Amino acid sequence: MSLGNLGNILMLTCLLASLIQALYLIYPHTSFGKININYRVLTRIIFITCLASFLLLIYLFLESNFNYQLVVNNSHSEKPLIYKIAGAWGNHEGSLLLWILVLSFFNFVFLETKIKNTEFKKYVISFQSLMIFGFTLFLLLTSNPFLATENITNEGLGLNPILQDLLLAIHPPILYVGYVGYSIVLSFAVGGMITNKIDQEWARWLHPWVIVSWIFLTAGIGLGSFWAYYELGWGGYWFWDPVENASLMPWLAGTALFHCVIILEKKNILQSWVILLSILTFSLSLIGTFLVRSGILNSVHTFASDPSRGLFILVFLAIILIISFTLYAIKAPTLDKKSKINIVSKEAGILANNWLLLSSLFVVFLGTLYPLAVDLFLQKSISVGPNYYVLSLMPILLLLLLIMIVGPVSKWQNDKLTNILFSISKLFILSLAIIFAFSIYFSELKLTQITLLTLCLTLMLVSIKNGIRTNRNYSIISPSLGKSLAHIGFGLLILSVIANTTFATEKIFQAQVDDLLVIDNYKFKFDKVNQTKGKNFNAITATFSLLDNKTVIETFKPEIRIYSNPPTVTSETSIVRKFLADIYIVMNIPENADFVNVRIHIKPMMSFIWFSIILMVLGGISSIFFRIKLIK
Amino acid sequence: MQKMNIKVKKRLITILLSMLILVIATLLITFNLRDNIIYFYSPTELQEIIIDKKNIIRVGGLVKDGSYKYSEETKIYNFVITDLKNEINVSFVGIIPNLFAENKGVVVEGVAKDSSSITALKVLAKHDENYMPPEVIDALKKNGKWQSE
Repeated sequence: MSLGNLGNILMLTCLLASLIQALYLIYPHTSFGKININYRVLTRIIFITCLASFLLLIYLFLESNFNYQLVVNNSHSEKPLIYKIAGAWGNHEGSLLLWILVLSFFNFVFLETKIKNTEFKKYVISFQSLMIFGFTLFLLLTSNPFLATENITNEGLGLNPILQDLLLAIHPPILYVGYVGYSIVLSFAVGGMITNKIDQEWARWLHPWVIVSWIFLTAGIGLGSFWAYYELGWGGYWFWDPVENASLMPWLAGTALFHCVIILEKKNILQSWVILLSILTFSLSLIGTFLVRSGILNSVHTFASDPSRGLFILVFLAIILIISFTLYAIKAPTLDKKSKINIVSKEAGILANNWLLLSSLFVVFLGTLYPLAVDLFLQKSISVGPNYYVLSLMPILLLLLLIMIVGPVSKWQNDKLTNILFSISKLFILSLAIIFAFSIYFSELKLTQITLLTLCLTLMLVSIKNGIRTNRNYSIISPSLGKSLAHIGFGLLILSVIANTTFATEKIFQAQVDDLLVIDNYKFKFDKVNQTKGKNFNAITATFSLLDNKTVIETFKPEIRIYSNPPTVTSETSIVRKFLADIYIVMNIPENADFVNVRIHIKPMMSFIWFSIILMVLGGISSIFFRIKLIK
Repeated sequence: MQKMNIKVKKRLITILLSMLILVIATLLITFNLRDNIIYFYSPTELQEIIIDKKNIIRVGGLVKDGSYKYSEETKIYNFVITDLKNEINVSFVGIIPNLFAENKGVVVEGVAKDSSSITALKVLAKHDENYMPPEVIDALKKNGKWQSE
């Protein structure tokens, strides 16, 4: 039996097993209700077959088996080992298989958790299996990775050089875990509604899953942004590009969701709202995938795409939405417990934050999909400039920061506004003074900048104070530490982004060897140009030295790489990270020119942007360990 | 009965108020959206519209064979974008992306000087060598010049 057939058989087994499990959603209510299926065995079969076929695919790439179409299209025998492996999921078919693997992995891990309510467990697993079934069917019908090639060749076409990057090899799997993680959240909602189990205990079970997905999504977005920063060579890290927005939308909904689960867990209110957010978050994950994979978006990031694939995802989304909303419509009257929320309380703060996050979501959603609608109905091609996002999100961000400052320090149930304001007043005045001093002594700031920066700084200081106050035993695993870290991270992120956009400078030079390039207080000397040879490319490397009174402080080696499989030219940036600013050099050579084009960016606070995302992820990790401990 | 009315009234006011806020916010956002839209034109479409020298637009098509020039004195790049029916002269100061080549698809963003020339602020590069911007494909399709490979 050929390896490809083995892969097909594995996926067919998975399809069958997931179908049998998914049917459990219906057959307790039919005359077959007596049939007992072993959900434990089925779940394990599903997971093992998915894992085996994914490993098989990697093996095919490793041995450069050019009997298979996918390997021919995406690999090359001379490619470095790590990119052969990454090639397995660096394409539509492979990434779909990875998507299914993650779906079944979450299903499997959920099976092994110590939740005693088997009725609930069975329904969650069945709904998750329904999704696995849908995607496996899609894979087998339209995008089979184990398809044999029609024309036998001895060599592959290669992987797009721009994708031959270590970070890009790990970025999609991480993002996928985030997206797909919200599938189990939706399954929780469906299972909980069927078994009438939307209560505090349910919220406690759900909580770690919401955080896990959030951690991976945050990390995935961060890595993607980091990659765009050094690989694309534009000096930017976020372009409000549709593909980026596609990952930001589930993040916003997911962030709202996990704040809201906290209220449900504590106060046993807002059941409907949590359910709706669960449905919304996974739907946005699907829409995100749809937007990226269907190719209907005009993006700076391009992917192999095919409209029919997009159509499937849309149909699938519709089915998921119909099932979950029908269920919601039936169960909604029994869901909500009587609730009254005081306007000055922690739960009110979280709820306000929820609305603000959803408002931002609305802004991003509109900006991303409006061009599509215009294209569809008016046959006009448009794009939305970054200014739209910046201007629309600014007021929301202001309110969000305010709520993030006062929310965490207020008490559950009922609090006095004066108490809250008093407890943060000193830190607020301190922050205002610092920003004012900066504005007077260093560089004049506009009013909006002063307001935003002050709020960011206050948020960070208040969160630090809170973290210390509520965590006196210095435990690393604690929800309050996690919260503080994540909030400090968010404050720092906005602060650094504002500082970065305000103070960044860039200059373009047409330089010849021995030229002196001056930008701000930095002097660079253009030393030489060499030709070098890499593993699977030829490179032209230029050398620049950063000078301080004729002594060389740093050397920069930006490159132009010429790949032959497939033939592509890329620019490699050279970045030196200083504590306060990045120095970023990228170059290229116009045809027939005797000079090189050099662009130098000075980008302040760049390291802080990455650090702030790490803080947020660490915050998530800290609280996830606490949550897992809580379930045990 | 009286009590009920007050309750209903209160609720009505809350609903009306939140709807009002929602409408205002949506209006503000959509106006903002309208101001920040960048329209895309093919060279042919550019002939048909009234040029507004304040608006940033995008123009895309193929880079005409033999049209790519660079002047060392003025440091200006010049090239011609064509949809094989009409042509647009582009002038640009900055860094031309690596993937830029004659006979390949390109999209530039900038301000039109008149219906046949544009000062580009950005020349947009795409990742993939074989990639053709969807707008360019559309523009070529409209003229019946598109041949799929």
